[in-house]
Amino acid sequence: MKLKTLLLAGALSAVASTAMADCAFENTVPLRSLTAGFEAWNAVTAAWQECGNIEPELNQEFRTVQPQAFAANPSLYQIGGVSNGTVTPLLNQGTIRPLDDLVEMYGQNLSPNQLIRINGQVMAVAMMVNTQHLMYRSDIFADLGLDVPTTWDEVLDAAAVIQDAGVVDYPLGATMASGWNLAEDFINMFLGYGGAFLNDDGTPNVNSEAGVNALTMMMAMTDYMDPEYLVSDSTYVQQQFQQGRIAMANLWASRGSAMDDEGESQVVGLVDAAAAPMAVAGAAPATTLWWDGIVIAANITDDEAAAAFRVAMEGLDSDMVEANNDAAIWLVEGYQPGRLAQGAIATASAQPAPPAYPSTSQMGLMHTALGNELPAFFTGSATAEEALAAVEAAYTTAAQEAGVLE
Amino acid sequence: MKFKTFAAFVGPSVFLMFLFIAAPLVSVFVGSFQLTQPVLDQIEEETCTPGFLAQTCTTTMVTRPALDEYGHIVTTTEWVGWLNYQRVLNPEAAWAAISSFDWGALMQINFWSALRFTLMFTLVTLPLVIGVGLAIALAVNNAAKSIRGPVIFVSLLPFIITPVIGALSIRWLFIGDGILTTALEHWLNRDIAMFAQAWTIELMMLFFRVWHVAPFAFVIFYAGLQTVNQDTLESAIIDGANRWDRLRYVIVPHLMPLIIFIALIHLMDTYRVFEEIVGFTSQAHVISLQWLTYDFLQPDDAGNRAFGRASASAMLTMVGIVVLLIPLLRRTWRDHKGGSY
Amino acid sequence: MSTPRALRQPLGLRLTFAGFLAFWCLLAAFPIFWIGVMSFKSPVDAFAANPLDVIFGPATRAAGNGLSLLDIALGLLVLVCTVRLAMRWLPRMVSSYSPGGQMIFGWVIASVGYALSFVVVFFVILPALLGVLNPLLGPLGHPVLGLTTAHYQSVWIENAFYHNFINSLIVTGGVVTISLTVGTLAGFALARSGSNLAFWILILALVFRALPHSVLVAGYLPVFVNSAEILRPYLGDAAPTLYGQPWAVIAVLVSINQPFTIWMLRSFFQNIPNDLDEAARVDGCTHFQAFRWVIMPVMWPGVITTGLFSFLLAYNDFLVTSLLLDQSNQTMVPAIASYFNRETTTTDQVEAVAAAVSITAPLFLLVMIFQRQIVSGLTAGAVKG
Repeated sequence: MKLKTLLLAGALSAVASTAMADCAFENTVPLRSLTAGFEAWNAVTAAWQECGNIEPELNQEFRTVQPQAFAANPSLYQIGGVSNGTVTPLLNQGTIRPLDDLVEMYGQNLSPNQLIRINGQVMAVAMMVNTQHLMYRSDIFADLGLDVPTTWDEVLDAAAVIQDAGVVDYPLGATMASGWNLAEDFINMFLGYGGAFLNDDGTPNVNSEAGVNALTMMMAMTDYMDPEYLVSDSTYVQQQFQQGRIAMANLWASRGSAMDDEGESQVVGLVDAAAAPMAVAGAAPATTLWWDGIVIAANITDDEAAAAFRVAMEGLDSDMVEANNDAAIWLVEGYQPGRLAQGAIATASAQPAPPAYPSTSQMGLMHTALGNELPAFFTGSATAEEALAAVEAAYTTAAQEAGVLE
Repeated sequence: MKFKTFAAFVGPSVFLMFLFIAAPLVSVFVGSFQLTQPVLDQIEEETCTPGFLAQTCTTTMVTRPALDEYGHIVTTTEWVGWLNYQRVLNPEAAWAAISSFDWGALMQINFWSALRFTLMFTLVTLPLVIGVGLAIALAVNNAAKSIRGPVIFVSLLPFIITPVIGALSIRWLFIGDGILTTALEHWLNRDIAMFAQAWTIELMMLFFRVWHVAPFAFVIFYAGLQTVNQDTLESAIIDGANRWDRLRYVIVPHLMPLIIFIALIHLMDTYRVFEEIVGFTSQAHVISLQWLTYDFLQPDDAGNRAFGRASASAMLTMVGIVVLLIPLLRRTWRDHKGGSY
Repeated sequence: MSTPRALRQPLGLRLTFAGFLAFWCLLAAFPIFWIGVMSFKSPVDAFAANPLDVIFGPATRAAGNGLSLLDIALGLLVLVCTVRLAMRWLPRMVSSYSPGGQMIFGWVIASVGYALSFVVVFFVILPALLGVLNPLLGPLGHPVLGLTTAHYQSVWIENAFYHNFINSLIVTGGVVTISLTVGTLAGFALARSGSNLAFWILILALVFRALPHSVLVAGYLPVFVNSAEILRPYLGDAAPTLYGQPWAVIAVLVSINQPFTIWMLRSFFQNIPNDLDEAARVDGCTHFQAFRWVIMPVMWPGVITTGLFSFLLAYNDFLVTSLLLDQSNQTMVPAIASYFNRETTTTDQVEAVAAAVSITAPLFLLVMIFQRQIVSGLTAGAVKG
């Protein structure tokens, strides 16, 4: 039995190596790429490898290394995977090249929507969008006669009903792990309440009505959540969903397909997705839009850049999307949105639309300050105003140190 | 030994330590008094990003660093005196909190709450590790010869296992509906969330550290017990000393150098506690000094790192360790003078 | 020698000691045992709240992966026989067949051969045999214990974990060898020199050992990434990029480990009588000759113990290797962390548990083999001062 599986594995890898023929050309320039490591990147980098001569590196901690590796001369990697957050340091250092020529030569399959333009120049090519959407247990909602909530107040009402019915351990889940996740949730809520992070003179402005509203709403949510929410990241919430322990969560769209994974999930087919709830009725959903895509290093030869771009395009074609349709909300031609992608699409095309996550140095500093200082509010050692004042103080120090604030 | 021979023998070792430890240390020391900033320009920039179907373009003022002719970011470096230290220590707020006896306000400042936890963690685990290690060593030494081997093997497991994996293995027993949490809930008949409040997390971290390090203390004490002078023990018995007296007046003094050795190693290792914070994701509730340094150095999405504050907090951590070690260092100095020869 | 009457212990005390030891062993082994159990279950079972579900694995069994009573009995029998043979028969075979002075090679060949034949018996012959026997035995042949090796297969075969294993071997081997070579020389000189310089080197080393590593490591990264550019004026086009190079990481780990190594070895050498090398020097040896011919033959217990500590440091290191090695040279510990950091599914997590168990297995073996040397080495004096 064991021997058979070994042979099978061997046969599979043989198939994988003959699949190289799927690439439109044979790559002869040695290339390396550095990207994040989630499902969509697995699919894309596997498609790159069909062209040969490329060594992809998938690393979720890539942001520690990427800026410095691209700044080396010659750059240690030719292709980089970025999101609208992590592209900032590369833009700042000028270590990625404009792609207009390459798009013209090799990018016939790209739609204009995919081209990330800075001052008119194409600096990156997006492959997918990501955002939060509201996932909910359709069976529970039907049993209790609940409507799908569209605002956070309605979410709380629905949570109260589910709590009273006692059908799950906790009605709500949320990615409120201290640090990056908690800050991201606050940013969504803060923008939903119409907040602006900075004043015109660059001083922070989170200790405002919108900030207090956002924190108050988040605190109200925690009444319906697992008390360990300060360690619950996306994987943990996804697991709670799969094991049937929560009934609703505003979770990343890229997590949707896991609900229907029969090997892990006990709620296959029972989870549906709707647009992310609004903080204020009539406003944009309280979330931000993200994109993930590729960039090409500046510190390499033009030949390498051309080869790198051609290989990159091979990964973003409709063959790859067909094979990995549910791995992401693809922007690539041929994508067929599934049942669980509907929430994200409703979010992204809502009117008014939620803003894209701003890619600036200041936002990076603000994100860190929020992630470090807000937990004090949730552990009860500071009031909302105190915590937000601490965020402003931390931001001011960091911004002065980074030189973006006098 | 002539200086030249001595230099030839220690040369490679000293060279390596200077290249990879002393040199970075000096740069950290210098960096803690400096502030390096890029030269920034305010420019208007139009950014187009994808929606699901159509793009949205926004025009905003953004700051971008200036680049020189080689494409490197232009930076300026200034000597700023104690500014980085002030930013880490936040002396005015700390002093205000201390003079009004407001413990909560003091704990709002990251450095002081990290210092509180690090000191507590170090000083609580120290006696526990020595006590538990000694107890296991005595128990094993008293056990039948035939079971000593397997018991030593099992006892060493927590020490040799990769710390990250050890921490995770304990975390899985407790997180969410982990089996031990469920068992506790069953036993105490109440809802328990081990990761929801600071004291339970601190308890788990203390447990992990003692679990991880006590075997090290055990194996060293056990080795020491093998060389206890039997004659002294027997004469103690003739003098009518009971078990407790023998432990107190013969065995512990014999093990004293080892106890100091363990204390020394343990103080150094525990003062830079870090794996527990990551393994138990405790940063919402408690942080440690090395974690604070690490956090300053971790770049955010936009690539910003707080090098100046990281250097300052690293230097402060070092000062703390040296202060803790001074009594032990003085003893080493006396030994050295009292004469290896 | 019989124990003097007064040293014999009353029953109550013996029971207390025995109870304490049993409790400690349970505490020490349980978390590790538990991740071992989890690694063999399907994701649903592995993270189940009921411990019995985790042990018996109903979901794993339902998926058609399980062991019957017969499987368990025969499997245990083979395991016990393997261990017994390794303890009794193998040492005799090695000592009688290997030529004098070549014991080490004899051991290497014997243990590799032994491990191979175990794999063949346990994973090929046994399953085939059981496949025939199980259906014949009725209720005894029905699966009762859910168990799947799927996660190990995907870790080792699909995700090519052996790659990381080899990298770990390279890094660990390099660190232990270089660290001991450099360290014994320095430790010997420090033990034999009473000068103030020696003292200050030791104190500095102690302070170095106390440094928080995250500070050092963050200092290396920019230099390592840009080393080709920095070194080009001196080395021309041969200037290497240090980032991602195993030997650069070995150098870093050796240096970080030096303080502990030289302190430990110095105490060993202090316990080797001074007269020994003095006598050799009187006979006309240089310091180095005295070290080579007189000290080296008697220093092994201490060196083995110190080497084990170096091994543990290099093998278990996370901070340095995760930051300074790229994917193709990644060692095992950072590789498993990337399982967690990734946007993981539950399956990924159980695979990470399987990888964690895989990392721990060699450590098990190591302690089994060297357990006696650790204790005797420490007794020989590493810890006297």
